[in-house]
Formats: sequence, C-alpha cells, structure tokens
Amino acid sequence: MKKLALSLVVVALLAGCAGVVKVGPGETVVGNKLAVTIDTAWNQFNGAGQQGPSTLWTVDGITVDNLRFYAGLKDGDLLAPNAPQAKDARPLAFKAAMRPDEIVALYQGLYSRDGSSFTLDKMEPTEFVGSKGFRFQYTVVRKVDEVKLSGVAWVAVRDGQLYAMTYTAPRLGFFTRHSVQVEQIAKSARVKA
Amino acid sequence: MSLTRRRWLAYGCAHCATLAAGGAWAVDDWQPPPRFLRPDLASDEGGLWAMVDREETKLRRSSFVMRDPALNDYLKAITCKLGGDHCADARVYAVRTPWFNASMFPNGMMQVWSGLLLRVENEAQLAAVMGHEIGHYLKRHSVERLRDAKQRSAFASVIGVFGLVGALGALGAVAGGAAFSREHEREADRIGLLLMARAGYDPREASRVWANLRAELAAGPAGDPSKKSALFASHPPSDERQATLAELAGEQTGFLGEAEYRERIEPFMWGLLDDELKRTQYDESIALITRLADKQPQRADLRYFRGEARRLRAKDEDLSLALADFDEALKLAKPPAQAYRSVGYIARQQGRKDDARSAFTRYLDAAPDAPDAGMIRNEISELQS
Repeated sequence: MKKLALSLVVVALLAGCAGVVKVGPGETVVGNKLAVTIDTAWNQFNGAGQQGPSTLWTVDGITVDNLRFYAGLKDGDLLAPNAPQAKDARPLAFKAAMRPDEIVALYQGLYSRDGSSFTLDKMEPTEFVGSKGFRFQYTVVRKVDEVKLSGVAWVAVRDGQLYAMTYTAPRLGFFTRHSVQVEQIAKSARVKA
Repeated sequence: MSLTRRRWLAYGCAHCATLAAGGAWAVDDWQPPPRFLRPDLASDEGGLWAMVDREETKLRRSSFVMRDPALNDYLKAITCKLGGDHCADARVYAVRTPWFNASMFPNGMMQVWSGLLLRVENEAQLAAVMGHEIGHYLKRHSVERLRDAKQRSAFASVIGVFGLVGALGALGAVAGGAAFSREHEREADRIGLLLMARAGYDPREASRVWANLRAELAAGPAGDPSKKSALFASHPPSDERQATLAELAGEQTGFLGEAEYRERIEPFMWGLLDDELKRTQYDESIALITRLADKQPQRADLRYFRGEARRLRAKDEDLSLALADFDEALKLAKPPAQAYRSVGYIARQQGRKDDARSAFTRYLDAAPDAPDAGMIRNEISELQS
C-alpha cells in the first residue's frame, strides 16, 4: 500500500513538473497558426523551459537540443517574459514594423540576457512560411555551463506578425544530429489557413 | 594621504549603531588585519573556502575570463596598492559580463566584471569599487553572512554571498552586492574609501561612481534605482551613500589616472560597447554612453554605439539623433564601417533610396566579409529595383 501511495505521489509530482507530449510524425500544427511536416516524432515541452508565447520541441532534452517556434506574435508581444531578477528591464517586445536587423537584436538580447555570449555568424535572405524572410546563424557560449552552442533561425514577418523558428544545440555532436531534419522542418513551415 | 579624523567621526556619529555593534571604530589609525590563514577544512569557514576554491578552478578555465596580461597586471597592481600585505593572497580576474559588478571572495579570488570596466572613468573610480570589495574581504563579511544564514537555517541564501557566479547561477546584473546587509555595505564603503585615500587616489571619485550608476539606472524603465533596482535593495540608499562618501572625501584630492585607465582598456572598448548594446537596455545604454562621450568627444565608437542604441530604441526623435551620431562617427578618426550600414537602414526607412544604397555599398566595401553581407547585398538589390 505504501508503495502504491509513493508511486501515486511520484506520478503526481512528475505531472506537475512538466508536460511532455509527443508530436508527429506527419503534419503538426504549432500554436494553432504554424503548420510543419516532420519525419520523426519530437517531444513538445510544456514545462519550466517554456518561454512566453513560443513552443519548445526537443529530441534529446531541452538543455541539449532546442527547437523553438514563434507562431504569429503580434505587435507588442514579448519574445519571452522578463526574468524575475530583471522584471523592470526593458522587455523584449516584437514590433510589427521591425526590420530584420532589429529582430536579430531582439534574439541577441534574449540569448545574452543571462550573461551568455552571442555572436552572429551569418545572416541572409530566405523564404519562410511562404513569405520573404531571412535566416541567421549564431554561436552562443552558455554562461551557466560554458557549453558552446550553435544555432540557426528562420524568420518572416507576415501581416505584421512574427513567424520564427530557432534551433540551438551544443556545437560538438548534438547540433548536426538534427540539423538536417530541422532544415526540412523549416522548409515545410507554412501559415495555417 | 588619509581622511581627516573629523570626517570619520562625523560619519561615525551618523551610524552609531554600527559603531556600537562593531566596537570602537578607530578611524585614521585603522589598520587591516594580518593576512588570513587558510581555515581548517572541518570548520564552516573552511567549507566556504573549499566551495569558492572549486568555483575559482572553474573560473580559471572559463572562456569569459579576459586573458590579457597587461590588463591583469594592471588590475593586480591596483589591488596591491589598496590591499597592502593582502595583495599576496589576491587573484584578480576580469570577467566578460556586461553588468556593473565586482566581488572578492574569502579565499582571495576577486572578479571584476567587464560592465564595471566600461562604466568607470578613471583608475580612481575603479579603485573605489575594488577598495569596497577589499573592504568586504578584510572584514570577512561573507563569513559573517554564512554564519548568520546558518543560524537562521537559511543556508540556501548563502549562495547569495557570492552573487551569481559560475555554477551558482549566471543571471547576474547586480547580484554580488545584494548579498550583504546595508551595514556591511556601509562598512565596506568606509574601508574602501580609506584604502583608496591611503593609496593616493582621489577619494572624491567614490561618490561619483554611485552618482553615475544611479543616473544610468534612473534613465531605465525602472526609474529611481533606490526604489526598484536589485543592486540598491540591500545597499544603503544611494543618495545617503553618495552624500556620505562625498562628505568623507571632502576636498581631498589625489591621483585620478584617467589616461592610464583609458590606455589599458582601449583594446577592449569595442567589445565592451558591443556587449552593452546586446543587453537591449537602450535607455540605460544611451545615458551611459552619453556620459562617456561627453568626456571623450573624439571617439567614433562611442558615437556609433549611442547611435545604434537610439536607432534600435526608435522613440520620438531617436532616428534623427542617431543619424547625427553616425554622421559624426564617420567624420572622426577610426570610423566604424558599421556606421555606414546604420545610415543605410535609416535612409531606407526614410525613403531616401539613393542614400541608402550608397551607404550600404560603402559598408560592404569596408566590410565585404561581414556576417550580414548577404542580407545587405539583398537590400541593395531591392533598392535598385
């Protein structure tokens, strides 16, 4: 009986900690607005790693690979809420009139606000969600554990709303493990009618 | 040089509780304690040292440490001027973290964050902050804090003793200072001022550090820092602190070391400003860079980064002010290529296609391998169509 009670407690605690649901394979809709097609299943993480309006997917765990979708952020929406330690800081708010370099500056702020270093490696035009957009690659050295991360992002502003997808993973070993698949996901991305 | 007894007494009378708690505060003749011996590992202090030693081992390998021998020698020399015999136990690390902070740990490890290096205007101001941290060290405040926390069964708060360093946490705008009590801060202020005055620095610079920081934070969305900023939460209210430090310093003068300081951080200025901009706290950055630019009007990098902060904030008259900054930057020595790109962005936004194309072209001429070269080529091509 004691064992059963303990098991129930553990299950209840785990349920409260994080909601991880399997997504795909096949067509999957993110945030009711962004549809992507995936070949293999990913894990959608709804727990403490969640940041504002974005949706987080991972294969190997959120501290390892990290695929984040921003599905139609409107003017004034935050890329992520302010950290509790900096609740009075200027927020990372998307503006409909933002140009690509300003959007990159927002992401730069997001990735470096914990003291991590962010370096923009490449930025070029591309199509995303069927619209004119851009793609940028970056390197982040994570402050908390000094792990060097590689990242790639696709962004488009459509009807004044931000559609973006970012993929970040440790440069050694992990980034390349899923990067080809992530490129395919980006190509498949479209705004749901 | 030393501070007058009258001033120390005046300060002491204003803080009688501190005097009563800490015993007689022998002002002019206060001497630092002898060098600290490594405590027994079985003691609470020994455990604290061991924990900090582990953090230091990680820090030595950290890619965030600024490994410049000239800068490190310079910081160590300041530490030795201030710390006297304790210099032998001090190890100073400049750490790339774009917030105002420095901290000294019970085992002698001192960290000076790059955000502090950007913000101080001369060696005396840097010595004021380092002297304050040495004050905490000499009075062993972190050990007191540890014991206090243990007494209150609040051991978790002990991590705050060291701010947000290493594995203990990375988000660290202002954390180091928040760990000590106001009385500890007052005591460290007094000792720091005494040490800097004895070392020959102009003690009046100590209050200027706080006035500058307060003005910068006040420009941000949080407004008055004494009410809202975490940095000031456990520090004495900054107006009191400024007034006290200014009163203690009086009319004493001393070494400023502005040229020496500028020469030492010159190789890092672009990186320091770039990190500052990445914080996206544009209101504060504009206040900070304006202060620096007022003192160094011939620096093109300051004009450029202030212009960028204004352009990215894009409030009221920001774009025209930014344009003026970029124009000025491009007239000065060492004009940054990025200023052409920024002029191009604004010209395009204002519908001046020819100006935008010309500015973007000049940017690519100067920086053909820039990370965003593909994006800018696309801009030029769109402007031509």
